Amino acid sequence: MTHLVQAIALGLLIGGVYALMASGLTLIFGVMRIINIAQGAFLILVAMLTWWLWHETGIDPILASVVTTPLMFGFGWVAYRLLLSRIRGSSASMSVLLTFGFALVIEGILNITAGNKFKSATPSYFEESFRVGGVSLPKAQVFGFLAAMAVLAVLYFVLTRTWTGRAIRAATQNPSGAALVGVGAASTAALAFAIGTATTGVGGSILSVLYPFFPASHYDWISRLLGIVVLGGMGSLPGALIGAGILGLAETLTATYGSLNWSTLVFYIVIMVVLLFRPQGLFGAKLREDTV
Amino acid sequence: MSRLRSLPRAHLIAGLCLVLLLLYPVVNPWQPYPQGVMLLAFLLAIQASSWNIISGYAGYISLGHSMFLGLGSYTVGVLAVRFGVNPLWVAPLGGITAVVIAVLIGSVVLRTRGHAFVIITIAMLLAAQIFAVNLKSITQGSDGITLELPFWDRDFQNIPFYYVYLILMVLTVLFSAWIRRTKFGTGLVAIREDEGKAASIGVNTTRFKIVAYAASSFFIGMAGGVYAYYLTFINPVGSFAILGSVTIVLATLTGGRGTLYGPVIGAFIVQLVSEGATVYGGGSNARVLVFGLALMLVVLFLPKGILPTIEAWWRRRHPEKVEYTDQAGALSRVPVTATERVRAEIAAVNEKDEVAPGEILLDVRGVSKRFGGLTAVDNADLTVRKGSITALIGPNGSGKTTLFNLISGGMAADSGEIWFDGRRIDGMRPWRRGHLGLGRTYQVTRLFKEMTVQENVVAPLPDSRWRTMFSDAVRGHEAARARELLDIVGLGRFANQPAGALSYGQQKLVELAQVLMLEPKLILLDEPAGGVNPSLLGQLTEVIRELNRSGVTFLIVEHNIPLVLDLCDPVVVFSHGAPIAEGPPERIRTDPLVLDAYLGDDWRPADGDEGTGDPADDRADDRADTTTREAVQ
Repeated sequence: MTHLVQAIALGLLIGGVYALMASGLTLIFGVMRIINIAQGAFLILVAMLTWWLWHETGIDPILASVVTTPLMFGFGWVAYRLLLSRIRGSSASMSVLLTFGFALVIEGILNITAGNKFKSATPSYFEESFRVGGVSLPKAQVFGFLAAMAVLAVLYFVLTRTWTGRAIRAATQNPSGAALVGVGAASTAALAFAIGTATTGVGGSILSVLYPFFPASHYDWISRLLGIVVLGGMGSLPGALIGAGILGLAETLTATYGSLNWSTLVFYIVIMVVLLFRPQGLFGAKLREDTV
Repeated sequence: MSRLRSLPRAHLIAGLCLVLLLLYPVVNPWQPYPQGVMLLAFLLAIQASSWNIISGYAGYISLGHSMFLGLGSYTVGVLAVRFGVNPLWVAPLGGITAVVIAVLIGSVVLRTRGHAFVIITIAMLLAAQIFAVNLKSITQGSDGITLELPFWDRDFQNIPFYYVYLILMVLTVLFSAWIRRTKFGTGLVAIREDEGKAASIGVNTTRFKIVAYAASSFFIGMAGGVYAYYLTFINPVGSFAILGSVTIVLATLTGGRGTLYGPVIGAFIVQLVSEGATVYGGGSNARVLVFGLALMLVVLFLPKGILPTIEAWWRRRHPEKVEYTDQAGALSRVPVTATERVRAEIAAVNEKDEVAPGEILLDVRGVSKRFGGLTAVDNADLTVRKGSITALIGPNGSGKTTLFNLISGGMAADSGEIWFDGRRIDGMRPWRRGHLGLGRTYQVTRLFKEMTVQENVVAPLPDSRWRTMFSDAVRGHEAARARELLDIVGLGRFANQPAGALSYGQQKLVELAQVLMLEPKLILLDEPAGGVNPSLLGQLTEVIRELNRSGVTFLIVEHNIPLVLDLCDPVVVFSHGAPIAEGPPERIRTDPLVLDAYLGDDWRPADGDEGTGDPADDRADDRADTTTREAVQ
């Protein structure tokens, strides 16, 4: 019983972190129909950066996101303006290929500069846990979860309460309508891409503490995150939250009752089963067939 | 010799290259290194050509295609070690494993449109790797499988592999060429260009995509089996490498996605460049960077690929003269007569029908469709009788096109029933409705612009038989039929032009010819006269009358009221999502309810000016008992 509670608690904590990581991806897809395969590489890039900051200055890795988040915001803005804006109007598959190439470039550069070895940031609380009842919750997981929730709350606030957020949501739902009322599609897209990229600032910092990583780890991450987005329904933010929770639970439950080796596979099986019955994902709107 | 000369230049060059490649090991037998590089280029060409079937022709990008190479390797590796058979003999089983897995994945993910497919392909590649690592009893886990050394004398080195891969590459290219020539191939390109439209002309998009995915996996699986023997060692990380997938994508993109020879050309370029980068550029770390940069540069600056870019340049240098405006036709206005064979075919289809002329062919019963708060179609009833040319008129936004979409299956109704030819069709997928003989054209034409006019007309499938799907689209019966249909609409001489080059009115006629390929019983025309010049319009009405005499029923949405009153009987008036009146044109012309709702005061005929000038109608007048229905509300 304690095992079960422990597994569920851990699953939800990890799910919260996954939710943050997937939120940027789903936001970018929702606004621009861009599947940003490079999101995983962005995470690893931030994790490397965080690890280096922690290693050099001893700053807390999760707090380091105060530095990395604005950096990634600017990075996303520039990346959109220089690269992705050039293929606006071509099919979504081109964005997949472009961002895939981008991910490889980041991986290649990290391989050469940081080396091909596993790294992990280990702050002082790394080995410590909170004990609640019989359940022990590692402090790193709890802090990561709290940071993720805080960022998601900010993101939610920005999207629903500010003009910028409304502009982004308007552009998601109806780009030409948004353009009519003065929401420029290009600048909104750049903004959304920058915000989506900025979420990797915190996401990558948490990653550097919770998981060992090396440059090629980005494949594992991007396929997990994309899995969450497909499961929840492409472009749906609530869908991403639920999908992330399911991934977290699937992983911890499989690891507790089965074997760690199979935990990612169980998640893929869950996705396939869901798609079998709901091809558009849990929260995805069925594509309106454009018959004009 | 003259037959050889009549072959397209590209095939001649390809044949010449093949001869050189066949001769190479004979001329230069004791050089294992260049042979090794070449055979890896063949392997990449096999993969790229195969990938091109699903991702080039059909436009569904797979980023996990190297999975099939690994599946083939493991199938053959496991069988060879367990049963002691030579890997070469069981290599085809690798292909079969790949096909089985492709069908399983495809039937889950390819049922809908959209972007889930590309994501799932990456996930499945990684899932395959997890399987290979953890199913230790079968795959020996991360330790990998070591195979026996090739049975031939070491003096022969890689020469046998060289020829095996060369033959496999030729087979793959021939297979891809054959697919592109069939209606299956045309359907795949149609899916890439406009999937919704493809479904409406009888292309079973789900089946097509799954078959394409399976077809794109077979030769890779088989090549994977041979690859295991060539390497004599396989392990999960090497067999299911995502970088392998990137190489496939990069090769096809570089050469030209969707072309026949592009993937092969790209494969040779990428293989040679990557070999150069590994030898001179500092190993595999540099390779990731180089591949990534190359992929980005190709997407940004050469998105169509080398081969199409060269072709476009060649065509600009050697322009072909085509007379697009039909001066002679416009001036003489020859009446169009359907060739007898096509007429007989269309008549035969409609005579065989159980529904007799004058009976109800299409029956819409209480159908509604809402978009949020807007009710576009509101509990509408509509019947179309066999042999009639029924008009559906009404103000903009009254729900006519939405009703068309509900009938043709582009959208699902919220409530109500639709019956066609004695069958309930509202739950059917669009292509099933097409196979039953329901065709439609669009308000804004939706031709496949990258295809030629003839390919556009060949693309529709009148039934769901596999034989039809794999029939030749370039020569033979189907192509001849398409030519005849183009002649019927008077556009035969544009057969080999890209559809996008035609004028708007001409595109409308091509779309009509396209629908005729379905052997239709009922054709829904959405504003056939919109944007069509008067002479072309004459041609169009001529064709409609002609087809109607052969037994085809029409339901026409049109704003050109004189045309409607001249051509159609009965006329149904739609307003606020439901019919408000129905009757012969002369009655509709004077119905006060209709005049108020739609035509306005300008149209009200002056006293004494009506009722006499109705042109003699040669259609059977067995539906005179139409009534004016009062508005629902």
